[in-house]
Amino acid sequence: MTGNVLVFLGAALASAVEMVETLTIVLALGVTRGWRAPLQGTAAALAVLAVLVVVLGPALEAIPIGALRLVVGSLLLLFGLQWLRKAILRASGFKPLHDEEQAFADGVAAARAAGHESAGRDHYALVIAFKSTLLEGLEVAFIVLTLGANQGATGIAAAGAVVALVVVAFVGALVRHPLSRVPENTLKFAVGVMLTSFGTFWAGEGVGIDWPGSEVALAVLIVLTIAWSLAFTRLLARQASPVTA
Amino acid sequence: MRRAVHGIVDFLVGDDIGIAVAVALLLAAAWGLVEAGGEAWWVLPVGVPAALWLSLVRARRLAR
Repeated sequence: MTGNVLVFLGAALASAVEMVETLTIVLALGVTRGWRAPLQGTAAALAVLAVLVVVLGPALEAIPIGALRLVVGSLLLLFGLQWLRKAILRASGFKPLHDEEQAFADGVAAARAAGHESAGRDHYALVIAFKSTLLEGLEVAFIVLTLGANQGATGIAAAGAVVALVVVAFVGALVRHPLSRVPENTLKFAVGVMLTSFGTFWAGEGVGIDWPGSEVALAVLIVLTIAWSLAFTRLLARQASPVTA
Repeated sequence: MRRAVHGIVDFLVGDDIGIAVAVALLLAAAWGLVEAGGEAWWVLPVGVPAALWLSLVRARRLAR
């Protein structure tokens, strides 16, 4: 039960972070070049991603659980550490925070500079929207599939991603402006903690570790990961000079 | 083809290949301990934060 809630939360948070980034690009295209082509590109990419999840999800669940846990746990651990590394470097001032307003302004400038075709479909907007949604979405699909397959809860993980998609799309449609107030780095930090903890737990099981307390160890790993990540952020922040975006 | 391979490696390994190497070594060490009949549950909870800290220290050095 707790594992399923954590899978849902992990999938939803990871999806939200990537979708906010995609939304910024689609909004920049929409406000400068019209909405039709960017929305078509986004819809096409979402369809490709949905097919991937539907086809690969059951295939992953058919792999022997020991091998699956080792491979997927290792990958989740690598992903989690990458996210945590980035979030800690940003939070401690060694890397500039991701600025959605700036990304939006850059996107608008690039979309204007690209020029319009005189008639017919806007291929530039279509391709950029498709590519950015697909690339960000692949990471989401990977996390959703691996989190879900290991826990035997692909549906729950997919539901988390869908909830995040609906919320981000709804808010984006309402404000028609980049979601700059979303605490993206905090979300990234939270997702990094979840992926690192799940990855440590499952990769450990994959190499034959018997965790003390069984599934309770996962909760302990999450608490420990939060603790050392915050400690690392503080230690680095003491030595940082301010970095601007 | 080269770009695709580079993209996949970048997707999996990220900014610091040292983390991937450390994770592989830690898993090998834990597996070795399990096979030898020893207690291995502490290897990852100790080794994973150590690997990230080393990577952060490297990043800090490069940023200066």
